[in-house]
Amino acid sequence: MSPLTRGNPGETHLMMGNEAIVRGALEAGISVAAGYPGTPSSEIIETLAKISDDIYTEWSVNEKVALEVAAAASFAGLRSLAVMKQPGVNVAADFLMHLALSGVRGGMVIVAADDPGALSSINEGETRLYAKLMEIPMLEPGNFQEAREMTCWAFELSETLNMPVLLRTVTRLSHASGRVTLGKLPIPDRKAFFRFDGDMLDPMEGPIMTPPVGIKHQSQQKKLQQAAKLFEESPFNTYEGPESPELLIITTSICDLYSKEVVALLGVKDRVGVLKLGTTWPLPAQPVLSRLATTRNVLFVEEVQPFIEEAVKVLAAGSQLDLSSLTFYGKYSRHIPMAGEMNPERVTAALSTILRLESGPVSPVSKNYPGTSLPPIPPREISFCPGCPHRASFFSINTVLQLDNRQGFTCGDIGCYSMGMLPGGFFTLKTLHSMGSGSGLASGFGKLDKFGMDQPVVAVCGDSTFFHSAMPPLVNAIHNRSAFTLVILDNSGTAMTGFQPHPGLPVDTKGNQAPPIDIERVCRAMGATTRTCDPFDLKATQKQLLEFINGKEENQGGVKVLILKQACALSPKKRHTQSFEVAVDPDRCIGEACGCNRICTRVFACPGLIWDAENNRATINDVLCAGCGVCASVCPQNAIQRKEFP
Amino acid sequence: MQILGPTELSHRILNGDLCTSCGACADLCPYLKSHGVKIANVFACDRETGRCYAACPKTGVDETLLSETLFALPWKDAPLGHYRRLYMAKQGPKTPKGNYQNGGTVSSLVIAALEQGVIDKAVLTGSDGIMPRPRMVTTAGQVLECATSKYIAAPTMARLNRAATEGDRNLGMVGTPCQMTGLASLRTNPLARSDFEDPMGMVIGIFCTWALSAQGLFSYLERQEIDPLAVRSMDIPPPPAENALIALEEEVKELPLDDIRKLVLPGCSVCPDMTALWTDLSVGALEENPEWNTLIVRTERGEALVDRAVETGLLEIQPISQTSVDNLTLAAANKRKRALAARERLGMLDPAFQKPVEVQPKQTIMGFK
Ligand SMILES: Cc1cc2nc3c(=O)[nH]c(=O)nc-3n(C[C@H](O)[C@H](O)[C@H](O)COP(=O)(O)OP(=O)(O)OC[C@H]3O[C@@H](n4cnc5c(N)ncnc54)[C@H](O)[C@@H]3O)c2cc1C
Ligand code: SF4
Ligand code: SF4
Ligand code: SF4
Repeated sequence: MSPLTRGNPGETHLMMGNEAIVRGALEAGISVAAGYPGTPSSEIIETLAKISDDIYTEWSVNEKVALEVAAAASFAGLRSLAVMKQPGVNVAADFLMHLALSGVRGGMVIVAADDPGALSSINEGETRLYAKLMEIPMLEPGNFQEAREMTCWAFELSETLNMPVLLRTVTRLSHASGRVTLGKLPIPDRKAFFRFDGDMLDPMEGPIMTPPVGIKHQSQQKKLQQAAKLFEESPFNTYEGPESPELLIITTSICDLYSKEVVALLGVKDRVGVLKLGTTWPLPAQPVLSRLATTRNVLFVEEVQPFIEEAVKVLAAGSQLDLSSLTFYGKYSRHIPMAGEMNPERVTAALSTILRLESGPVSPVSKNYPGTSLPPIPPREISFCPGCPHRASFFSINTVLQLDNRQGFTCGDIGCYSMGMLPGGFFTLKTLHSMGSGSGLASGFGKLDKFGMDQPVVAVCGDSTFFHSAMPPLVNAIHNRSAFTLVILDNSGTAMTGFQPHPGLPVDTKGNQAPPIDIERVCRAMGATTRTCDPFDLKATQKQLLEFINGKEENQGGVKVLILKQACALSPKKRHTQSFEVAVDPDRCIGEACGCNRICTRVFACPGLIWDAENNRATINDVLCAGCGVCASVCPQNAIQRKEFP
Repeated sequence: MQILGPTELSHRILNGDLCTSCGACADLCPYLKSHGVKIANVFACDRETGRCYAACPKTGVDETLLSETLFALPWKDAPLGHYRRLYMAKQGPKTPKGNYQNGGTVSSLVIAALEQGVIDKAVLTGSDGIMPRPRMVTTAGQVLECATSKYIAAPTMARLNRAATEGDRNLGMVGTPCQMTGLASLRTNPLARSDFEDPMGMVIGIFCTWALSAQGLFSYLERQEIDPLAVRSMDIPPPPAENALIALEEEVKELPLDDIRKLVLPGCSVCPDMTALWTDLSVGALEENPEWNTLIVRTERGEALVDRAVETGLLEIQPISQTSVDNLTLAAANKRKRALAARERLGMLDPAFQKPVEVQPKQTIMGFK
């Protein structure tokens, strides 16, 4: 039995931040959880689906729908959780704005996982500003124990205020592990029923909607004031340090750990105090003001936006404090960088400058663990896995666009295949933005022929992205007679985030049978010309794609959809299986004499194939090769031979 | 002559608008490929030397080397090149009826070569409407399907390269002077590959003074409100005709030759060769009689083929008049003179044109090579 579902309060377990959040939600007695996969948030729904049969968990088609599914449960009086990574909050933002105003019934918490430093993202977005924009309360756990406790408390808070509550986590908390002491698991007893026949303005029995906006907005403001009051007393805001510190660090989230570590390492505990805020919006005035009154220097340590920094400055400006005696350090003073993750080194650098420490910046890592410095890791190219269908797909797309020779280009989208912008994807992608926007951009590009543009337009999207947000732009393109080719890289799962199922598959979130939605039939029903190819068959794929972009098809122009179907090399059904036994025939591979300039290892560059410089020929790396056999069709000499496994 | 690589070829010839789509550089490797009538660089290749560069008739022609390799003779700078015989010729009584450009000499010779087993297959140029399409043929019927001249430049050499790479030998080929120069350069085994074999059984050139750009012709036709894809064939009748004939489904349209000449590929202006100097046999129109051809016999095996074709009734030959020879020589000399002047003007005779180019790779991401 997973420690997550064990009913032993007081036990301490090692848990990942995301697991601590799961435990907190279980202790709050949630009934429904919905989300869309996205690093670093994915484990929350995944874990819930695995460990609890009492809860309805769902990988929704996108984050907005996830939020709506969770809200419905709340409207029916249940406690519910919506989970997404930061860009997903942008997707859900439209509904969230309205939900914040209409209010909720059962406790409802939105977990937003930010990725400072863009470790697994293509932006460095910041969710905290949404709390302010949407006018909802926000909590930011600073450690693993808090992740559990805050999550649990957030549901109570939500029910007290009849408002959704935002819980913001970050990669370094979600994906690291620490000790968590368990609380009590409740016995689930809530029944779902949606009351709607009460008074328009009755939050518990009336219909749930945003009008009358004036009245609802006022009551929203009141609830926020109430939240601020509750936050003043919250144990999640803590202070550690001398009564009148020379420097006050105000911090939040995981930066609390960095700050305390550095203060200890630099030996300045008697000079520096750390005020850690866990309830960051609305800002709890009293704890902050009373601390500001005890110091002359303040340093804000936070990631991405100067969110707390601004809020505290606004608060101070409206207070009785003598501002002339206060110096603020932070992002505005450039002591803390405006972009990228925080880490102990960055805190050290800021503290050393502000406190004029003699030794200058020290690296806490080397000081902490002397003699552990390792030789640098050789730089390695980010690329697709051995046997990855995307490599073959991009090889074909690139080949075809070059052959066509009209400077055609490909609009990218979000997934593993975003790496199509890198050398490993032959630099195929020329635009890359949010989910579904490859198709939206292509829809726009495809209308520019009127202004002299005759470059062929291709867009790519994954199977999961297709359902998430590529369908509306596709409808748009077809209806508005745009012309482009959408290549759907269908690898049968949400591969990048760990094979969560999506509506195209015959299984649901818990692995039970579910009706699959056939992507090709959907596209055809919309009115697109469609074909399906196996991307491993380079010849057939390129032929079909050429036909599509050369407009030789029966209906010239228009929207074409090519589905390149081949499961991900790491998918559970394919892993550790090989279709072919692949070997390089040493007599046929003539190395540099061939004139191919090592296309197999220099251009196609599957990690399973390596250049043996000593013998001047290519060779298969038996450990890495996934046996897809594609490289055999890349070699112009037919030197790479594949034999089907019996 | 120094052999450079794909970077110089792309930079100076393909991007420099000097390419005449002969196809000699294409389908030799996985990088340069022909598609339709265009040459595309599929992936970047950073080799410093390449057969593609050596093959291209625009990067420079090593006439001394070609002459020694193909004719075992020193190069003498004569307008008609090396030849053994000059005739006027046309199809023989045994040649099947066909829609030939002039006397049908080319088609007859290819049929004879196939029938005699001199070659097993031949690379010719058929068409799809007005779009030329290189084709591999093995039968007389297929040869007929490729008869008549296509005025859009065609990458016929790319088809030959593909066949040679796939191991075909004993091949025949019909092509324009630029294609034939590319072929000749490849037959010198420019990078001294150990596995090299000359794949050619018979090489037949056709005369040429210019060819059209597909893109140019297509947009011109569109401007004349003619759908290029609806054109079934195009013919340029011999002088004094002043119009090209554009055959559509229902009618034949006439378009002024003066307009058409503006659509000639810029690369043709630097082409010094009118009679296809580096072949076994070269065939052109005969000025005084469009029902006949001019036939230049350059090699022994070419001569043997002509003899056998005559014997078997596939070809008719007659002595050619001195006036015709003089006119042809003058025309060829003039083309050569004009081309050299154009090369000079474009800086192609400058030693810098034969030096490697330094180009910064356009798209690299920090941290990646
Ligand atoms: C673009 C072009 C320009 C020409 N300019 C001249 C000229 O200025 N003076 C002159 O005397 N003759 C010129 N010719 C040659 C002439 O038109 C005839 O091809 C030649 O007289 C042979 O006639 P035929 O009846 O024997 O040809 P056919 O028996 O009809 O055979 C024609 C052959 O030409 C080949 N062919 C057709 N189009 C092309 C092409 N685009 N590229 C390569 N091969 C092709 C085909 O494969 C076919 O085998 C030109 C030909 C072309 C294609
Ligand atoms: S068969 Fe070739 S392309 Fe496929 S995984 Fe092995 S080395 Fe890579
Ligand atoms: S002229 Fe011929 S060889 Fe030269 S670049 Fe063009 S197609 Fe290639
Ligand atoms: S003029 Fe020269 S370059 Fe132009 S098509 Fe004829 S042979 Fe080729």
